[in-house]
Amino acid sequence: MASLFVQIKGELGSFNIDFEHNFQSDGITVLFGPNGSGKSTLISAIAGFIQNIEIFISLNGTVLQGQKNIPSYKRSIGTMFQDPNLFQHLTVNQNLDFAIKRIKSENIKNYNITKIEIIKSLDLQNILDRYPVNLSGGEKLRVALARTILSQPSYLLLDEPMSALDIKHKAKLINFLRKYNREYKIPILYVTHSIEEISQISDEIVLILNGRFIENGPTSKILAGDHFQNLVGKFEASSVLEGFVSNIKKLYNLTTININGQYLIVPGKPGILDDFVRVRIRSRDVIITPIKINSYIAENILVGTILTIDIEKLSAFSELIVALENKENKENLQILRVRITTYNLKKMKLSINKKVYIYIRSVSIDRQAYQYD
Amino acid sequence: MEVFSLLNPDIVALILTLKLALTTCVCLAFIGTPIAYFLAFSSGKLNPIIESIITLPLVLPPTVIGFYLIVFFSPDTMLGNFFILVTGEQLIFSFYGLVFASIIYSLPFWVQPLQSSFEKVGVKTIQTANTLGAGHFDTFFNIILPLCRRGLLTSFILSFAHTMGEFGIVLMVGGGIHGKTKVLAISIYDHVEQLSFGKAHYLAGGMLLLSFIILLTLYISNKNISMRVK
Repeated sequence: MASLFVQIKGELGSFNIDFEHNFQSDGITVLFGPNGSGKSTLISAIAGFIQNIEIFISLNGTVLQGQKNIPSYKRSIGTMFQDPNLFQHLTVNQNLDFAIKRIKSENIKNYNITKIEIIKSLDLQNILDRYPVNLSGGEKLRVALARTILSQPSYLLLDEPMSALDIKHKAKLINFLRKYNREYKIPILYVTHSIEEISQISDEIVLILNGRFIENGPTSKILAGDHFQNLVGKFEASSVLEGFVSNIKKLYNLTTININGQYLIVPGKPGILDDFVRVRIRSRDVIITPIKINSYIAENILVGTILTIDIEKLSAFSELIVALENKENKENLQILRVRITTYNLKKMKLSINKKVYIYIRSVSIDRQAYQYD
Repeated sequence: MEVFSLLNPDIVALILTLKLALTTCVCLAFIGTPIAYFLAFSSGKLNPIIESIITLPLVLPPTVIGFYLIVFFSPDTMLGNFFILVTGEQLIFSFYGLVFASIIYSLPFWVQPLQSSFEKVGVKTIQTANTLGAGHFDTFFNIILPLCRRGLLTSFILSFAHTMGEFGIVLMVGGGIHGKTKVLAISIYDHVEQLSFGKAHYLAGGMLLLSFIILLTLYISNKNISMRVK
């Protein structure tokens, strides 16, 4: 498994950073934190652009910075900044060649990805002869991504690459990144503060706040955790359910997702049959009851058990964490956050370990990160 | 110099002027470009001091610069002494003295447009080139310079034109020796002193036209010309 160890400590201007973490994953790790928490600083440091403070970085046992300092152009790390930074005096094709000509010889054995393949999968065939000034935002981004990948890095850093993209293109690019990550086994460290992107792309999340490491773990665990919920605010608090597409109702434009043996019907087409998908469900959109009520209320009735109850003293609300009943894969615990009024909580006499019915209306489901045809 | 004596003195002055401007620009390419690069990308505490020194020729009277250069070029100084050792000639009243003076008073005209041009390329573009495996020289010659070709043209044209037009410093440092240090600007001055207004008209008119054409070329090719006095 790839291992990227980062230790960084010191003052950068007025910003104080003290971060230490070993990123151990072959998948896609999302680095999440609010603006100004130090995400970009961390990316810059790993890429080799911060020198004057105490830094130790090693990739798979090789020290990049610390006892010695390998300059950025010799590190086998591909970095894409927020802005695509295409070279304006070169055509798209020449931009790609710039990277290919400079592949470090020791990296060639890493994997063999051809220019033709990448041009095809990022749909660049028709813009190869254009100059960056004549490209749309989405096209620039795709060219920058292709260029970074063609430099054949053994680790990929992406700093909020999709902040300027619309939803449709985002979903396509997310799919591409997942596929690239799986096929070529290149770990990706992905910086974002978009919740939709996280739930679609990440295998693991690392939380950073005020220049400090907070916690890391699998996506669904972190998203349901208190740190994350505090970061994004209770009102937008949500949970992510994972499952496989088990049925598509073309006539009604609905898709059924199998979540450990329970079924969730969602609008649109987040994937094709057997695709792995994630759905973000806002805490305030969930209705729970201790007894089964009329099933016309919502398309989805799931069953679960209350794990925790958090009564907010200063507001009218309570937060509940409900574990969904697991009918298939016992290992995979799926958690749902529910926000109801404390008044309703008392009225229903809910308590920990109590079985509840969960009603989710399909219209309330966040469609933003779905992939469209 | 033998050939010069056969030519019209004004033609000699013209050739000398062009030679001076061109030599100065070539020297500035090697001296001014690294300074512009340094000022654009380093955020050192020395930057304001360096920038102030380089910009001084823009605000000082030419006679002040001329005076200090004469002092500086005298055979008693290290530079003056060294020049005599190497060439057997005094630096003052020589063509190379003129080149040296021109480099100093044209330096801001080379550095400033190029510096702002470098700044426009931006650190992120350079870092991106680095992450793609390009080292410092590779990045400079294949990314930065091509992106700054307009800034480079601006620097060249401004420095060239400014060197051609300078009068005060050139007169003080060069002394206006025919065939050696007498440039067009001094020729015009001499013609006016001798009341030969006809000849002065030709030269002055020629300079006016040439300068206009140079600036026109510049503004057509580059709309974002920028000169700053900080």
